[in-house]
Amino acid sequence: MSGARGSKALGAYALERLLNAVPLVLGVIVVNFLLVSLAPGDPVTALIGEYPAPPDYVERVRAQYGLDAALPERLLRYLGSVVRGDLGFSFANRQPVATLVIERLGRTLLLMLTTVVFATAVGIVLGVWAARRPHSAVDRGATGFALAGYSIPEFWLGQILILIFAVGLGWLPAGGFRSIRADYAGWAAVVDQARHMVLPMLALSFRYMAITTRLTRASLLEVMNADYILASRARGLSERRVLWEHGLRAAALPIITVIGYNFGFIVAGSALVETVFGWPGVGRLMYDSIFTRDYPVLLGILLLVSVSVILVNLLTDVAYALFDPRVRY
Amino acid sequence: MSRLLVVLACLAAFVAAPALAQGTPTPGGTAIVVLGSDPEHLNAGISTGYPIGAVGASLYSALVYQDADGVVHGELAEGWTVSDDNLVYTFTLRDATFHDGAPVTAADVVHTMESILGPNHGRFQRAFNEMASIEAPDARTVVITLNRPYAPLLGLLTVFDAPILPKHLYEGTDPLANPVNDAPVGSGPFRFVEWVRGERVVLERFDDYFLENALLDRLIYRVVPQDVARSTAIEVGEADLVWGFYMPTSDLARLEANPDVAVWKGLTIPSLYFMFVNNEHPQLGDARVRQAIMHAIDREQIVEQAQGGLGEVAGGPFGAGFRYAYSEATDYRSLYPHDPERARELLAEAGVSDLTLRFVYDSARGAFAAAAEIMRDNLRQVGITLDVQPVERSVMVERVYGRDYDLTLQSFTSSGDPAIGYHRIYLTAAPGTNFVNATGYSNADVDRILTEAAGLADQDARAALYAEAMAILAEDLPTLPIFDELSTQASTANLNGLLQRLDQRDGLEFAWFGN
Repeated sequence: MSGARGSKALGAYALERLLNAVPLVLGVIVVNFLLVSLAPGDPVTALIGEYPAPPDYVERVRAQYGLDAALPERLLRYLGSVVRGDLGFSFANRQPVATLVIERLGRTLLLMLTTVVFATAVGIVLGVWAARRPHSAVDRGATGFALAGYSIPEFWLGQILILIFAVGLGWLPAGGFRSIRADYAGWAAVVDQARHMVLPMLALSFRYMAITTRLTRASLLEVMNADYILASRARGLSERRVLWEHGLRAAALPIITVIGYNFGFIVAGSALVETVFGWPGVGRLMYDSIFTRDYPVLLGILLLVSVSVILVNLLTDVAYALFDPRVRY
Repeated sequence: MSRLLVVLACLAAFVAAPALAQGTPTPGGTAIVVLGSDPEHLNAGISTGYPIGAVGASLYSALVYQDADGVVHGELAEGWTVSDDNLVYTFTLRDATFHDGAPVTAADVVHTMESILGPNHGRFQRAFNEMASIEAPDARTVVITLNRPYAPLLGLLTVFDAPILPKHLYEGTDPLANPVNDAPVGSGPFRFVEWVRGERVVLERFDDYFLENALLDRLIYRVVPQDVARSTAIEVGEADLVWGFYMPTSDLARLEANPDVAVWKGLTIPSLYFMFVNNEHPQLGDARVRQAIMHAIDREQIVEQAQGGLGEVAGGPFGAGFRYAYSEATDYRSLYPHDPERARELLAEAGVSDLTLRFVYDSARGAFAAAAEIMRDNLRQVGITLDVQPVERSVMVERVYGRDYDLTLQSFTSSGDPAIGYHRIYLTAAPGTNFVNATGYSNADVDRILTEAAGLADQDARAALYAEAMAILAEDLPTLPIFDELSTQASTANLNGLLQRLDQRDGLEFAWFGN
């Protein structure tokens, strides 16, 4: 394949995919908006709080937040502002949605990216390990782990990890983003933050690690029976090189697919894990905004998540081409 | 009556306990206080939210405060006089300064009440509506004139309902959008340092506080959204104090067994749990049916099993929190003991059989779910089927106050005065206003008596009126009071000096670390 021609085609393909995503994102906004608006419960009730507000006050608040207009009008107004890059103003926090989300985005990305890297790495190693000795004790162990990991809900696992490692053993902090009592600086602050991240990352990783393990094992087992692997061995390549250079590379496509596929699940999981661990990220903001009926924040986060999932899937497709020369766009 | 005495004795013992804490108060240290959710902003003058009030209690000051017995004392007010007709309250202010150094004057009080609290603070509105004028004849004097006598006024001038904000930072601005709301300036014992949304609010001791300076160097309010994680935070020393509002009761036994944790139980702000009955329902409109349900429900069992023992079966329509609003003669526990046989008789008298009732409650309240199951079982025994409908909170509010329910479980508090939180449950009201009469009950005598009681400052005179109202309510039974909630608190064992005030959130300036 000619490298220059390939990358140009890839660029054009990526652009086309991005353009195709525009109506998809618009559709997502409309569906999110309708779902949220049609859900029972009045955001004004949550906004006003627990006291007998006179009806005219309730109406004033409703008007103040633009909730007195008809649904189609509100939808058009919302679409208009999103197109202009304005995600709206939070009912409850009295702040622009973008400010609120951006303030927390870094913390969530930190948690998510570490999770993806850690879970993928460990999952691949476990999967390879299991595939090398199928039906051995190691394989059964890894398969069992994968099944368990896939079945355990993140929030429950988070609580159990807290009970074991924070309450029982006292090794790691039970929650939060960093130590609150001590003000660390420099290297100490990094270590402190890493310590706070271990348990939430583990809780979030488990399910994902399990999927990667299972998939790596299955995919590698299939590849390792292929003729070219036999040929590599016949050429006298070391088993290590056969496995990591030839076997895994060919087995990588489904693993890459699953990274993209799971991204949305990790975002969803982070809402629960962030809540369990008091991690002040976007996931928890989403969780809180559901309870306070803070629609603009909820919609803003849903939009962010939808766009990220679309982007990650696009990146996944691009990665196919890089990993597998047979894939052309 | 004996039970009430036990509750009161326990209350006295619990309130006295912190005073016996060992050692001499020593300044210094940082206390970490748990909040269950992030405050939306930090202006306690425009919101009744719990976390905002929690931070606000240490950040702001008010004209008065209420001690653990609900007695009102001056805070910013050095003292006050009330005219003979109970209409004019004249407050004299102390020398106090805001955290930015500006003096607190009568003009700040007037501006706060008229422009910030009046239009925006839910509970203060109630007092504001009774006010004819708020005036500042000089910098140290505030005169509040009422339209008619209103006994709960003083109880609505505390830091939770009427924190005083600096006029020079709010005048001419929209108080809802003022940036000072996120970096607040008050005149309380602690001043604002930093707020990291979703994580923590940091306050430090204000050294020019107009009363005795706080002991702690710093107060950090830390957000721990999940209830189980809150007790864990106390256990592992990542927090020093959790209030009952945020406490998962299921973890209490574990915390009590931990020598590093001090657990307190008792009554703070009175909180009463009711079963509301839709009086507009064709069968429930008959008082005999409501009485039958009261007889059928095993309230002891609910307290023990659903509430983990943290409660006392309710004796009357206004709970156990206010001695003058309770009359032994019509104690609900003697009038309506758990008696399924009597319940069946009453239902037969009313000609009701085969009744199915929709029971709506807030699905986020775990104790309510447990209580619902007990009630379902209790009522099945007398031939009533409960259609249990747990719904999300805002849906619950819409349905209950729109009277689209048959039975519902609700909790109400009435800080400082029964007229603040409990009268609204019984006074005649049209449907549609949240957190007022949800039952549709309307009795002209009750309306008259309660309105009169709200205007009297003399507690003995009020007691006679409440006895009269309670006698009517005991017969009509528009609501079925289930139990008075006992509050809890868990703290690091060496944090002393807690619980100096009626509201747990108030009085942290007296807290200190000892051995």
